Amino acid sequence: MQYYSIKKEEWDKTLEQLLLSHTIFAAVKNEFGLDYELIKPEDIAGISYNIPKPATPLKSFFLPVRENVTAVRAPQKPRIILGIPNCDIEGLSLLDSIYLDEDFDDIFYRDRRENTILISSDCFGKQEHCHCLTYDIKPYSERISDLAAVLLDGIIMLRIITGKGEDFVRKIPQAHQVTDEKIMASINDKHKVAEESLKSDHISLPGYSKTGSLVSKPNMEIFVKYSSHCVSCGACTTVCPTCTCFLLIEKPGFEKVKQMDACQYPGFERVAGGEDALFELKNRFRNRYLCKYVWKPEKFSSIACTGCGRCIEACIGKINKNELFIELAK
Amino acid sequence: MLNEKNIYNPIHAKLTDVIEESSLIKTFVLIPEEEFSFKTGQFIELSVDGIGEAPFTPSSSPLITEKLEVTVMKTGYVTEIMHNLKPGGYMGIRGPYGRGYPVEKFFGKEILILGGGCGLAPIRSLLYALENVKDKLVKVILCYGSKTPADCIYKPLFDRLNNTEKFEAHRTVDKADESWSGSVGVVTSLLNKVKVNIDNSVAVVCGPPIMMKFGTIRLLEMGYRDEQIYLSMEKNMSCGLGKCGHCMMGEFFVCKDGPVFTYNEIKHNPEIWK
Repeated sequence: MQYYSIKKEEWDKTLEQLLLSHTIFAAVKNEFGLDYELIKPEDIAGISYNIPKPATPLKSFFLPVRENVTAVRAPQKPRIILGIPNCDIEGLSLLDSIYLDEDFDDIFYRDRRENTILISSDCFGKQEHCHCLTYDIKPYSERISDLAAVLLDGIIMLRIITGKGEDFVRKIPQAHQVTDEKIMASINDKHKVAEESLKSDHISLPGYSKTGSLVSKPNMEIFVKYSSHCVSCGACTTVCPTCTCFLLIEKPGFEKVKQMDACQYPGFERVAGGEDALFELKNRFRNRYLCKYVWKPEKFSSIACTGCGRCIEACIGKINKNELFIELAK
Repeated sequence: MLNEKNIYNPIHAKLTDVIEESSLIKTFVLIPEEEFSFKTGQFIELSVDGIGEAPFTPSSSPLITEKLEVTVMKTGYVTEIMHNLKPGGYMGIRGPYGRGYPVEKFFGKEILILGGGCGLAPIRSLLYALENVKDKLVKVILCYGSKTPADCIYKPLFDRLNNTEKFEAHRTVDKADESWSGSVGVVTSLLNKVKVNIDNSVAVVCGPPIMMKFGTIRLLEMGYRDEQIYLSMEKNMSCGLGKCGHCMMGEFFVCKDGPVFTYNEIKHNPEIWK
């Protein structure tokens, strides 16, 4: 992998310059934890690097909770999103498959994807429910994002991932290509430490390749047990980086508003005639597991749970899907 | 870049006629303002301005492109408002979407069609398409069931088919009245009357879920193989684009991968009849 380096103070100045022509969102620590914020010049010094993970999933930047999809699209300033964990970056793979589908290309999604430079951030730490590695996702990005940022001893190291990322870095005169193998080796060491740390957690949690068959086998009693704490609030789908179901709402003038929806809400699959395959809570609850671990991977050859653990953190019923999988595997 | 096709935008279609088929079913005749065509069995999203949008398979011939007929049963909020529409206004159309009937695969075969209730709407479109290629078909048999004689839609269709070479049509009702002298019973009871060479046949089923289920079971009992049975599935097809997730049936988006499936393609999913 090719790296460019730039002193942190030079990088901060570069971001300040970029603010003149770009909108920048970056991961910033606040009183509740870490989340993306719209960056103003005075926020730049406070941008967090190499810490997991923003509370908001990356999908929110590409699929707003509610938008008029028949409105005229106004040109937008180019956008930089900085500090994205790899779990969210990998989640984009599925979103791209759905929204950049060659038959029905969603121009709103594509505009935003093309207009955005994704700068991921290698995770050198972890949160309690992070389990990306169990699902074969590394805590650092090597694809999809344009660049990956590492803050190392007052230097920002930028790993080049895409041509778009390379073009971006080459326009920064203060950024220099790294040739010192020791520096790259030290980043690799940090990656290894992060991976070892993740490996030591969730030892009994089945890997992603096993989750599909575990969900598919006759096991309704386990889903009944776990769903008994579910209130169908949809928090799990809201924070999930790969849940993107939506509703089209008709407005006067044949306009349509696309609003995020969730299979966990009652009536999600109900048809006008009254039939509703997901009427019962246990079926609705299990549907999300079938979708994420059986159907979507089969249909799109893409992972549909990136092990970010947000659904566990968000659940007001304290449903821990990792505990469910461990029980399924017994 | 900003002028590219927006998949969410409907085209406008003028409502030129509303035909009352039964007390609950009306056919809307629409003239699209832009070029529009569909393959039989594909569906459209039909919208009432400011009210809502719902999926329907056109009931008209796919060979006629200047107008479109959509047969709608009054079932819910949107369809109830549709039923109050008068000719002269405009409706919205998105589509066509999905995979329709593979008519070319039916060439050289006998086609047994099982329809129930408003399920005759997509079937009428299929029948028009089949009439157009009847030279390439062996035989087409329609078996149709409605709740009562008054609920039967497209009544002239049956006489016309029975007077068309290679076509035959049978009707039954669940509950007869004094006007009815034909068969009484569920639609599968008509299957005892028809002669069909199953080895060289395909079956098409379209109707309410319960009828689809028992129709399929009966066809399997008759000896039809899973891959010979074509089902037009009904799900909450909200976007029609394979994106919104409402119509997921196992690994399939019914709106994009269907709505027409062979039983063989979907039988592994125990929830297909729900």
